Amino acid sequence: MKNFEMALPNSVDEAVGLLPKTLSDDRARLLAGGQDLLTEMKEYLVEPDLVVNLKSIPDLDGVVWASDGSLEIGALTTLASLEKDASIAAAFPALVQAAASIASPQIRSAATVGGNLNQRPRCWYYRSEDYPCLKKGGTECFSYYGKNRYNAILGGGPSYIVHPSDLAPALVALGAEVQLISPRGERVLTLEEFFVLPSEGDVLRETRLAADEVLTRIRVPAPAAGQRSIYLKFKERDAYDFALAAVALVLQTDGDKLASCRLVLGAVAPVPWRCTRTERKLAGRPLGEELVALAAQDALADAEPLSENGYKVPLTQGLIAEAFEALTI
Amino acid sequence: MDNPSAPLPSGQSPPDRISSESSGPSRRAFLGGSSAALASTTLASSAGVARARPQDGPRLTGLSKLTLTINGEKRSVEVEPRTTLLSLLRHRIDPPLTGAKEVCDRGNCGACSVMIDDQPAYACMTLAVDLAGREVRTVEGLGTLDDLHPVQAAFCEHDASMCGFCTPGFVVSTVACLEQEPEADPSRIRELLSGNLCRCGTYPHVFAAAETAQGMMAGGTLDAAGSREDKR
Amino acid sequence: MVDPTIRWKSRKKLNLLNTEYPRVDASAKVTGSARFSHDMRLPGMVYGRLVMIPASRATIESIDLSQALATPGVVLAELAEEDKDQVRYLGDDAVVAIVCGTSPETAQDGVRAVQIEWTPEDNMLISEEQISAPDAPKINRRGNLRQSGERGDAEKTVQALGSADVQVSATYSVPVQHHLCLETHGCVVDYNGGDEATVYASTQAVSGNPGSFARHLGLKSSQVRVVCQHMGGGFGSKFGIGLEGAMACRAARQLKRPVHLMLDRKAEFLMTGNRSGSRQVMRAGASKDGRIVALEVEAFKFGGTSGGSLPTPPYMYQVEEAYAKINTVHQALDGNRAMRAPGHPQASFAMESMVDELAYGIGMDPLEFRIKNLSDEAHHRQLRRVAKEIGWDVHPNRSGPGKKPLASGQRPAGAPLPPAGDHWKEGIGFGVSRWGGGGHGGARCEVRIDSDGSVTSSCAVQDLGTGSRTYVGTIVAEELGLGLNAVKARIGDSALPPGVASGGSVTTGSVAPAVQHAALLAREALEKKLEPVLGAEPGAYTFDKGRVFVTDDPKKSLSWQEACALLGRDPLVVTGKHQGKLADGGVHGSQAVRVAVNTRTGQIKVLDMVAVQSQGLTLNRLATKSQINGGMVGALSYALFEQRVLDADFGNLLSANMEDYKIAGAKDIPRMRALIDDDDMRPTVSGMAEGTGVPGAGAIANAVYNACGARVRHLPLTPDRVLEALKDA
Repeated sequence: MKNFEMALPNSVDEAVGLLPKTLSDDRARLLAGGQDLLTEMKEYLVEPDLVVNLKSIPDLDGVVWASDGSLEIGALTTLASLEKDASIAAAFPALVQAAASIASPQIRSAATVGGNLNQRPRCWYYRSEDYPCLKKGGTECFSYYGKNRYNAILGGGPSYIVHPSDLAPALVALGAEVQLISPRGERVLTLEEFFVLPSEGDVLRETRLAADEVLTRIRVPAPAAGQRSIYLKFKERDAYDFALAAVALVLQTDGDKLASCRLVLGAVAPVPWRCTRTERKLAGRPLGEELVALAAQDALADAEPLSENGYKVPLTQGLIAEAFEALTI
Repeated sequence: MDNPSAPLPSGQSPPDRISSESSGPSRRAFLGGSSAALASTTLASSAGVARARPQDGPRLTGLSKLTLTINGEKRSVEVEPRTTLLSLLRHRIDPPLTGAKEVCDRGNCGACSVMIDDQPAYACMTLAVDLAGREVRTVEGLGTLDDLHPVQAAFCEHDASMCGFCTPGFVVSTVACLEQEPEADPSRIRELLSGNLCRCGTYPHVFAAAETAQGMMAGGTLDAAGSREDKR
Repeated sequence: MVDPTIRWKSRKKLNLLNTEYPRVDASAKVTGSARFSHDMRLPGMVYGRLVMIPASRATIESIDLSQALATPGVVLAELAEEDKDQVRYLGDDAVVAIVCGTSPETAQDGVRAVQIEWTPEDNMLISEEQISAPDAPKINRRGNLRQSGERGDAEKTVQALGSADVQVSATYSVPVQHHLCLETHGCVVDYNGGDEATVYASTQAVSGNPGSFARHLGLKSSQVRVVCQHMGGGFGSKFGIGLEGAMACRAARQLKRPVHLMLDRKAEFLMTGNRSGSRQVMRAGASKDGRIVALEVEAFKFGGTSGGSLPTPPYMYQVEEAYAKINTVHQALDGNRAMRAPGHPQASFAMESMVDELAYGIGMDPLEFRIKNLSDEAHHRQLRRVAKEIGWDVHPNRSGPGKKPLASGQRPAGAPLPPAGDHWKEGIGFGVSRWGGGGHGGARCEVRIDSDGSVTSSCAVQDLGTGSRTYVGTIVAEELGLGLNAVKARIGDSALPPGVASGGSVTTGSVAPAVQHAALLAREALEKKLEPVLGAEPGAYTFDKGRVFVTDDPKKSLSWQEACALLGRDPLVVTGKHQGKLADGGVHGSQAVRVAVNTRTGQIKVLDMVAVQSQGLTLNRLATKSQINGGMVGALSYALFEQRVLDADFGNLLSANMEDYKIAGAKDIPRMRALIDDDDMRPTVSGMAEGTGVPGAGAIANAVYNACGARVRHLPLTPDRVLEALKDA
C-alpha cells in the first residue's frame, strides 16, 4: 500500500470539500470501514494521496426509527450492529439476513452499510492491476472473452461485472432511499436509482454518486401491513464467499393471492437487478406452484449468459423458487 | 489450463486480444492513468439546508504518535497512516507480538484475528490510526503458557492445531464467539468461526474445543482441561 | 542378525503410546508463543521482496532499479540474474529482482519503484491449443507434449473390453491444486559476515538444507545451521530452499545483515509448486457377475514445466486386462511438486468414479462391487465398517439414485439430516486408499539422561504439524516409565542428530524407530548402573510410573530420581539409529461420505464423512485422528472448491489470492469421524496421513451421483457442473 495523508474531517461538508471533482481523479478517497478500500489500495488499484476518514465525523452511525415506522440507518453503521438488531430483524428480515450473509464476523464488525453499498466489483480482472479493464479506465472488459463464471448474465455491457453488495438487493427490494451530500447540497435518490448500469452511466463507477459526494444515510420505509421479506444468498463455498446469485423478495399476500411483490436479484447483473416486469405479472395471481414457476421463468427470461456462466440462470431460478416458497407456502 | 477437461479457451477469443496498447509496460501505465474527464453526473440538488460547519479536522502525514491499549497495557506507537494493526503488532512494537499471523493480508483467512473493543477484527484490514484510544486484544493477551485461557486449554485438549499457523487466529475468534454468544449452538459456532481458514484441516477439532471451552467458561471450571496433562 | 530386544512394548503394556494425548507444543501454538520463521526478529534485520513479471512468456527490454534504490528505507535492489531477457514460464523464472528494505512496507515501496519494460509474447504457452500450435516454442527439451509411460497390452485390452457385459467410456479430469501453505515459503538468514550463519527456514527437511544455504552464502555446509522449530504447512512443497532461499542468502551475504524473505501470498501462488492436474480418458468393462474385465486409459498430466504426477492405472482395483498410456503436457507454468500423496488423489478420483459407474452399470451394489475387485482383506473389513458407520445398510439408494431421503425417525443414529424440500436428494459414496509409509535409514536420535533426572531426546526432524516433536519425547517416556512431559524433545535444528526429510509419510517410520532404539539403549545403560545397587542384571527391570524395580522382586526399587542420581557427574548419552524391524509400510484406508444435493441450484452439502485407517502401532491416537480428519478436509476442499484459474491469452493467474482460490472453511465441514483400524496389529509404526487425503474426492463425487444421478466427472464439483450433469440424470 502506498503511503498517504489522512484527513480526519469534523463534518461532512469538510469531507466533501476534500474530494476530487471528477471520477477519474483518484487522488483522494473516502474511508469508512475500509474493508473494501484497503484491499484496493493493497492491490494498487487506487493509490490516493489523501484518504478522507469519515469515522471522525460524529453522528454518521447508528439507526433511528421514525414515528411512521421507517428506519434511518447512518452510513457508518456497522454490518455487525445491523445484524444483531432484533427490531430490524422483526421489521425487515431480508435486511438482517443480507447483513448476516456478508463475509465474516471480523469483516462485519468493521464494514459499514455505506461502504457495502459503495464497494467496488470483485471481478478478478478488475481486482488484478495487471488488467487495464474498463472499470479502471481501460478499453476492454476482459471477462467477456475471458474467465467469466462469476460475471453478469443480465444487464451486462460494456462491462460485465456483477454488483457484489448483499445489502443492496435487500434494500432495493425494501424500497430504500439514500441521502447524498456534496458541496452543492444534499439530495435523495431511491437506492434503485442510485445504482447505474455500465451502459447508462460512467463505466468507472457503479452508482450515481458524484466524485465529491458522500452517502450519509439510508432510509427504509415502514413495512406495509403484512409485509414479508427474505434474502437468499447462494455461495459456492458456505464459509465466507461472495454470492453466485442472490434473491431479495418482499411481498404482501391478500388471502390466497399475491397482492404485490418486489423481486431483486443480486450477483447476476452490474446493479441490483429489479424484476419490475415480473413483479407486475405476478401481482394478483393465486399463490402456488404456478406462480413460483412463472416468477422463476420470467425473472430470467432476458438473461444473456456469457461463455461460462449459463449455470446462473437455473441457479437463480432455483433461488427465486425457494424465496417464494419460503414466504408463501 | 486450470481445468484440462473443460473445453479449452475456445476459439471465441480474437487473436489480437493482446492488442498493441496492452503490452506489458503500457498495460501498467494504464493503471495509474486517467481516462477522459467526465461530465458531472450530479443530479439537481435539493435545497441544501445550511449547516454550521465546525472547524476543520486534523491531517495525519508521515509518522505520528498513536496511543492505544494492547492487552490491557497502554502503548504509544509511531505509525504511518498506512500502517495496519497487523504491521504495528508484528513490526512496530518491541518486543513484537507475532501471534497474529500475516497469511492472506486481504481479510480472507483470519490468521491475524484480534479483538478491538471486544469485537472480532482482522488486524490486516485495520488501519492503526483508527485505533486511538481503543483497546486491542491479541492471542498473547488471552492466557499464558502457565495460565491458559479456557479456549486455549480446550484447543490443547482436543488437538485443535496441527501446523499451528492458523491457531492463534482461531483461538481469538473462538474467544470472541463465546464471549459474544455464550449460548451459541454448534452451527452458530461454525458461523462465527467462518472468517478463519485452516489448511491442515483441524476444523472438527476446533469445533470440539469450542464446545468444551463453552462449558468451561459457563461453569467456571478453568482447569478441567488444563490439568489433563498432570493427571497422566 | 536381528536383536530380539529391539521392539516396541506390546500394546497392552503401553501407558502413553497408542492412547490419546495432547501434543507437547500445543500450549505454545495456542498462546501465539510458537515462533515460526515468519516471526523471527533479529537485530539489523531487513525484509526482502521479490519482483515478478506477471506473465508466462515475456521479453524483458529493460529493468531500472535506480528509483528503487532511491526509495527511503531500501537498502538493496538487485537483478535476480544479470542480462535476463526473457520470462520462459510463470513461476520462479518470472522473478527479475530482489529488493530489501528496513521494513516490509519500505521493501514493498522499493518493489513498486522498479521500472520494468517488457513485452508479452504472442503465445503464452498455457492452453493445450497454445502449446500444440505448430510454431509453439518448446517449454521442455523433450517437447511440449510427450508420451511418458505405457503399460499393458493394448490389443488384449480392447478384446477384453469387447467381451465385457457392460462397457463405460468416460473422461475424468482434475484441476491443478495449490498447496496453499498458510506460512509462505521462505526463510530468515541470520548472517552478519564471517564464517557462521543460522537460517530459520520454513522447511520439510531441516537436516537436508544446510548445504544448499551454505552454497549461496559462500560457506561450508558445516558452517550453516538450519532451524525450524515450527512451520506453517508444507504439504510436499517445502523440501528445497527455492529461489527465495537462494536470494535471501545472496542478499544477506552482500549486506552482512540478517535478511527476512518470506514470499508474499501472490508469489506463493505463482512459484511454489502445485499438485498437477490430469485428464484421464477411460474405457472399462465389467462382467455381470461383478468383475472388472478391462480398463483402457489414456492419461494426460499437467505439471507445468515439471512432469506431473500420476500412478500408472489401474489404480487400487484388480483389473483382468489393462492398458495405460501416460502423456505429459508441459505448460509455461510453475512446475508441480510433491503434494500429499503425489498423483494419488488424481488417480483415485478417476478410478473410484469409473468403478462406481461400472457397478451401477451392471446393477450391483457399489460397495459389494468394490469388495469383489479389491484384493486386500484390510479393505474388505474397512469398507464394511465405514458402510455400517455411514448407514449404507438402510440407505434407500443402494441400487441407484432417486429415492427420498429417510425421515428422521428411520435414519441411522447421528446421521445429519439433509435440508428440507423434495429438491434435496441424499447419497452415499465410497473410496479406498493404500499408502506406502514405512521408513528408511538415516535418522539418529540422541537420548541424554542427567543425574537430576532430566531426560532429553534430540533429533533434527521437523514437525509439520503431524506431532513428530511429541513422539520424539513420548516414545522415550514410554520406555522409561515416565509421564507425558517428562522428556524434553528437541527437534528442528540441524545441529542435532540427523532426521529425515518429511515426505511420503515416512517421517514416523524413519524417526520413531531411531527414538525407540535410543530409548532402549538408554534404558539398558541405566540398568547397568542399577545392577550394583539393585542386584539384577540388565533386562530384569521394569520402568513404570516414575519408578524402576526388579521385575521379579518389585520391592527392590528406586524412584526415577534416585536411579538417575547413580549417574553422578557424567550424563548418560546414547544415540539410536533407524531399526527396520520397528517400522513397516503399507497402510490401508477406506472412507464413506454422505451428501445432500440441491437439484435446483446444484449445491452440494457434505453431511458426514467417516474414515477407517490402519497404520500398525499408533503412537498418538489423538494426533492420528487429527491427521485423518485433515486428510478428509483436504479431499473435501479439493472435491468441491479448489481450482487454479488462468487467463491463457495473458499468461496470467487470476486466482492468486485466498478469495478466488477457495478452500474449505468452517461452515463447509460435515460431521467427521476418524477411526483407527485396530485390526492392524502389526508391532511396527508407520505414517499414514498422505493416504487419508486420497479417497475423499472420488467418494464425494460418487455420493453426488448416488443422491441425484448427476455424474460429475470433473473436479471441482461446482454447482454449474452439477446442474449440467443433472440434465443427463
